[in-house]
Amino acid sequence: MKKVITLFLLFMVFSTSIGQTIKDSIQSSPKNQINSAQRILSGNAGKAITIGGYAQLDYNQPEGSNGEIDVHRLVILFGYKFNDKTQFVTEIEYEHVNEVFVEQAFVNYSIGNNISLRGGLMLVPFGIINEFHEPTTFNGVERPNLDGFIVPTTWRELGIGVNGKFNDISLGYQAYIFNGFKPADEDGNPLLTGINGFRGGRQKGIRSVVNSPTFAVKLDYYGVQGLRLGLSTYLGDTQADDEVEDLEGANVGIAMVGLDARYRKQRFSARGQFVYASISDSKEYNILYSDANSNLGSAMLGWYVEGAYNLLSLSKDQKLDIFARFENYNTHFNTDGIEKNKAYNRYDLTTGLSYHIAPGVVVKGDYQFKDNEGQKYEDVANQLNLGIGVWF
Amino acid sequence: MYLFVLIKNMVIMKQVKLILSLVLAFTLAAFSLPEKLEKKVDKELASYFEEENYQKTAVDISAEAKQKLNKNFDPTLLFKITHNEKLLGYAYVGSAPSKTAVFDYMVIFNEDLIVAKSKVLIYREEYGGEIGSKRWLKQFNGAQKTDELKFTQDIIGISGATISATSMTNAVNNVLKGVNTLYDNNMF
Repeated sequence: MKKVITLFLLFMVFSTSIGQTIKDSIQSSPKNQINSAQRILSGNAGKAITIGGYAQLDYNQPEGSNGEIDVHRLVILFGYKFNDKTQFVTEIEYEHVNEVFVEQAFVNYSIGNNISLRGGLMLVPFGIINEFHEPTTFNGVERPNLDGFIVPTTWRELGIGVNGKFNDISLGYQAYIFNGFKPADEDGNPLLTGINGFRGGRQKGIRSVVNSPTFAVKLDYYGVQGLRLGLSTYLGDTQADDEVEDLEGANVGIAMVGLDARYRKQRFSARGQFVYASISDSKEYNILYSDANSNLGSAMLGWYVEGAYNLLSLSKDQKLDIFARFENYNTHFNTDGIEKNKAYNRYDLTTGLSYHIAPGVVVKGDYQFKDNEGQKYEDVANQLNLGIGVWF
Repeated sequence: MYLFVLIKNMVIMKQVKLILSLVLAFTLAAFSLPEKLEKKVDKELASYFEEENYQKTAVDISAEAKQKLNKNFDPTLLFKITHNEKLLGYAYVGSAPSKTAVFDYMVIFNEDLIVAKSKVLIYREEYGGEIGSKRWLKQFNGAQKTDELKFTQDIIGISGATISATSMTNAVNNVLKGVNTLYDNNMF
């Protein structure tokens, strides 16, 4: 007993003096093992656990129809540090109150000053919003549509890879191997379409089909004060089910490149993004799914520019950004074997206000002027959006 | 009988040993930085002051002055850097929170107590590590002990690293405040 006490004291002295996070509860003696709830309650885990979250409540009012009010997203983040090098991060998401998803669940292991290994369910590093989508970090109640259809946020898949930062040259990098999009569901319906772009193809870690690896690489440059530049690439094929794999058009190949920039200096902020995606074998894909009218293009292109200005003085805790964003996203930038649908070349002008009542809480309002090049959608309704966002 | 005495002696020796190691552990651990951090601090100081053989000593603080300090400034982490009696400058080694972890930093002052260089020594998570960027940290150079740097005004942030950037700004402000308090109480 005395030995246990003195050993325990020794251990406590070391840990309090050095101030490192206390190690995991699984002791060599089963008598001392405690489960996670007990550990949280004992207070020891406090130094190692982080809990956070974000939520987005929206009211969308298209002109001339009924509006929709919705708890769009509620996400809880848990981070746990096993030791200085190893960390587990998970985000659990409730969408529209009754759909549960896991947004992230990965282990990060630091193997050197500039390199960490990461594996699990991770965000595909492409563009601005996919990685930085907490509602207090972007203007407008809804995320940009370019990041809805072409960079299908929240785009997360199972994968493994490396990431790190070279702070001497202000360069960050991420390089991962992921599983890819699913081209069709079990009932034979195409998931990649002209109208919804890549959005339907996300597997999200749900019993994902894996055939071939896809590659995602992103470089971030933050050497210029206030400016952050990103270059993203994504390359790979879709992952068709075994039953249809050998049919012509079952899989398509995707090559995407993106460029993004964020700038903030004093009261002025701006951002921009450009994405180009090239799809091979779309012709065969559309033939295979002609009954369902997949209408998948052979190239998609989108871009947006946004400017914002803080109307309040910087010395205040609150911020009131007035902003305008112009977007163009075209899921039929090019087509192979089918006619281009001009209605798929869409434009949005979003103007509004983001009022940050405290760091982490924002009340947003915006009006969107929607348009497209074609005929069919000529009565595209404009839309008023109001929302509340929190992040902690 | 002999065996019993032998075992008893062994147990007593073990207890004495344990107590001694406890005391040693406490003295060693409580009043010095962890080894990994110590190495980084030494490397940085040697590089900045261009002097391998400098001396690093704790600044002598009176109990009175200690009382006036804020909780977030630990005077035992403030070091005086000298070389053969000549004062080179000062350095403070602290830690601050990042999004889901804690990072270690150092603020180097010149002999006039003006910030000469800041460095993030150990950053322990994947979010927000951009604050280690030399260019970003240059913004703190030249800060006076009486300054209070406002984030987004005096210090421009980094998109995607707001939490750690705010935290580092707060940390530097705490160091400046602490140094200023000590200066006002003639500890330098």
